[in-house]
Amino acid sequence: MAVNLVEKANDVIDRAQLAAAEFQQYDQEQTDRIVESVFRAGFQNRIKLAMMAHEETGMGIWEHKVIKNVLGTQLVYESIRNEKTVGVISSDSRTGITEIAQPLGPILAIVPVTNPTSTTMFKILICLKSRNPIIISAHRGASKSCAETVRICYEAALEAGAPEDCIQMISSGNRDFTQMIMAHEKIALILATGGTGLVKAAYSSGNPAIGVGPGNVPVYIDESADIPFAVKSIISSKTFDNGTICASEQAIVVMESMEQQVKEEFQKQHCYFLTPEEIVKVGNIAVLADTMSMSPFIVGQPVSVIATKAGINVPEGTKILLAKLDGIGKEHPLSYEVLAPILAFYTANDYHAAMNICLDLNYLGGLGHTVCIYSNDESRIMQFARLLNAGRVLVNTPTSQGGVGYFYNHLPPSLTLGCGTGGKNITTENITAKNLINIQRICRRMPNELWFSHDQAEFYDESRTTDEIIHNYYKNH
Amino acid sequence: MVTFNYSPEGKEFTATFAGRLDTMAVQKLSEIVQVNLPASPGSSGDKIIFDLKDVEYISSSFIRICVSIAKQAGTGKFSIVHSQPLIKKTFKISGLDELLNVS
Repeated sequence: MAVNLVEKANDVIDRAQLAAAEFQQYDQEQTDRIVESVFRAGFQNRIKLAMMAHEETGMGIWEHKVIKNVLGTQLVYESIRNEKTVGVISSDSRTGITEIAQPLGPILAIVPVTNPTSTTMFKILICLKSRNPIIISAHRGASKSCAETVRICYEAALEAGAPEDCIQMISSGNRDFTQMIMAHEKIALILATGGTGLVKAAYSSGNPAIGVGPGNVPVYIDESADIPFAVKSIISSKTFDNGTICASEQAIVVMESMEQQVKEEFQKQHCYFLTPEEIVKVGNIAVLADTMSMSPFIVGQPVSVIATKAGINVPEGTKILLAKLDGIGKEHPLSYEVLAPILAFYTANDYHAAMNICLDLNYLGGLGHTVCIYSNDESRIMQFARLLNAGRVLVNTPTSQGGVGYFYNHLPPSLTLGCGTGGKNITTENITAKNLINIQRICRRMPNELWFSHDQAEFYDESRTTDEIIHNYYKNH
Repeated sequence: MVTFNYSPEGKEFTATFAGRLDTMAVQKLSEIVQVNLPASPGSSGDKIIFDLKDVEYISSSFIRICVSIAKQAGTGKFSIVHSQPLIKKTFKISGLDELLNVS
């Protein structure tokens, strides 16, 4: 069995490596033709794939998955179509440095169950744009819809002249097999979007990895905010695909003085505040007590299903469940990340206390990911940004749609959101094609006159002060 | 820069700090704090509270003093209250916010 797995892994990777060898000969025009063909095929199938993903995973809302598929195809394509990713990508006569893009090689792309078809298409597009063969490892709960996505994209790529095996898919049912591929010496990069354990496994494989971190997005509604606008925005985001985007809001923080108004606005817009008893019931089914991680049976479920599972009654048509909590941590399960239409709600007696709550939520498990402030006070916005550790500090923006870029800001559209070192990642960027190239720099000889005109004997003379040497170094320049 | 208050009923000893607790300031404060603290906080059962309401900056040497006193006091007998957000963040980055029971 183990031998078979090794052979299987070698076969997949050998194919990918051959594809990489062929692909690196392609010019920008050939590459762009392939990318356009794949975008068109994926876009054409956006509805079918959204329905498949919804049916297979039982998560989210298929109409919203269509929008995710549009993001993963059209919007990603438009953001990269004019990027130079082949050959000379920049040349500066002043510095004498010419930059050349080189592909990385076979990329293993891990795809989560929450956004399966959209992430698959997104990763395929950015890998092909950078001339890297891609091996998709889909979550076992979404393997059929991902396989169909891969089939559609691969056929379109081949029709446009792409190398054979430039897109492959492996079954992620066997964890040993996935880890074997991850650690394979011929894998150039792992593009890991998924849970903490999986991302950690990618980083531990010995191969370079671009991963993501967990989100626990606090949202501060400032006194200067437009409350009805803020509440509407939060609801539109937290209900988007039933909260499956990792940048979705997790907790609302307001001053005590605003509590009543914010509460009434949520209620007016069909959200329900849980009673203390109901908070316990929902917490018990939403968060696993041993690991404090979200229950997979709750992820992407509508309020009606969550209420039934928790054994509570909520008004029909309720969009979001809100839990007023007075603490953060293990005693309060709903203070942890839950990718479902459930929000924690905190009040603070002053601004500093409110910021401290946001800070605690940020450090509970969302370091480096995304935070949000609703405010019309620039100084408060800047203070908030300085205080919290987040790659994306969103202002007056629904965080699901804001974090992934394009819709509400000019971040690159992406379904892999870097979380910096706080989330154990190498970057805070929204990952896109430019992150998947090696940049060679041709450095032409341009002797630095400062260096060569300076009497270097001074560096060996301990009697000279730093100021004297620095003065002489820049003298007459 | 620091004032002390002892509440016999609650057996709470509170040191209230203010201003910038940079390395120089902490050098001066260190001895004053040690002299004014209960002799053996752990065994006497006194709780020690550092109130940082009006503190705008803390140095690593101040955090070291906090750790040292928290260890002397024993589990659950030391806490830091009223930290401003940036001060709280400093404790979080140090990784000592839970040990020092910072709020």
